[in-house]
Amino acid sequence: MKEVKVLKPVLVSNKQRAQENRKKFDEMNALVINIISSPGAGKTTFIHRLIEDLKDSYKTLVIEGDIKGQVDSQRLADEGVDVIQINTETECHLDAFMTAQVLPQIKGRYDLVLIENVGNLVCPAEFEIGEDFKLAILSTPEGDDKPFKYPLLFHLARAVVINKIDLLPYVDFDLDNAKRHIKNNNPKAEIFEVSAKTGQGFEEFCRFLKKLLDARKKKNKD
Amino acid sequence: MHEFSVTKSLVDLCIQEAEKNNFKKVYKINLKIGKFTGFSPDSILFYFDYLKPNTRCSDAEIIFTEVPIRIKCRACGKENVIDEPILVCPDCGRAEIEILSGREFYIESIEGE
Ligand SMILES: [Zn+2]
Repeated sequence: MKEVKVLKPVLVSNKQRAQENRKKFDEMNALVINIISSPGAGKTTFIHRLIEDLKDSYKTLVIEGDIKGQVDSQRLADEGVDVIQINTETECHLDAFMTAQVLPQIKGRYDLVLIENVGNLVCPAEFEIGEDFKLAILSTPEGDDKPFKYPLLFHLARAVVINKIDLLPYVDFDLDNAKRHIKNNNPKAEIFEVSAKTGQGFEEFCRFLKKLLDARKKKNKD
Repeated sequence: MHEFSVTKSLVDLCIQEAEKNNFKKVYKINLKIGKFTGFSPDSILFYFDYLKPNTRCSDAEIIFTEVPIRIKCRACGKENVIDEPILVCPDCGRAEIEILSGREFYIESIEGE
């Protein structure tokens, strides 16, 4: 019997494909955000509000990942949002291959691509899909220990949105504790407290995003 | 769970490497798996048994080597191995932590003939 060194990451093919996806997004000069949260954290409502706030200045595409069905994408499409659906069938996350399959459906140029990953805090964190960064959304009814229980996502996320902040008086959620867990995992994470329902906190989040969007636009001109 | 697609990638990669090295059969897959990943060895083994028949890996076993989470504190400079992925320096309590190991997930080598 012979032993040969391999020294290759198991997810090497996913990584390569993610880089190819990245190239495609770069051609459009789009900022791409991989949005990850647990089910019910309010991702779709968050995306709605965000698009509403940005639509005068930026063109946005949503790529909607769901295990089955298209309830969320239909909801977005009804509002006139450009949306592409990916059904993962059995998988609990989007990977670079599934994402690559829908890229030819993109017509035209977009400034911002929001990829709504499958509702799950564990698996999507492991798979790059060609994003600029991961955005974690956590909602107050879920409890402040989520970042402690699912450290990898919060470690990798560039920004964390704490949603449903309007429910704070009614739920058992210690904001300082949540922030401490996030910062312990990722001191550089930018944390935003928002309510997608009332609009609270969106101004600040949009300011953060506009800075990145304008930097990307500028990069194109240079 | 996501281990299905991960195990599929693992088997595909092993078959590729076996072909490249003219192995008709792979008997051992030495896999490094960091403690700060979301992958479960039990689930990988479960899917491996399902995926390996009729491939060059049909008689292979996976040897898992766990890579501990090793961190370095940017504040005090000390290195530590931690059991739980709580990224706080055990020496000074600060959270400016660099992860030195624990995110690995790769095939170190294959054995076969
Ligand atoms: Zn320290």
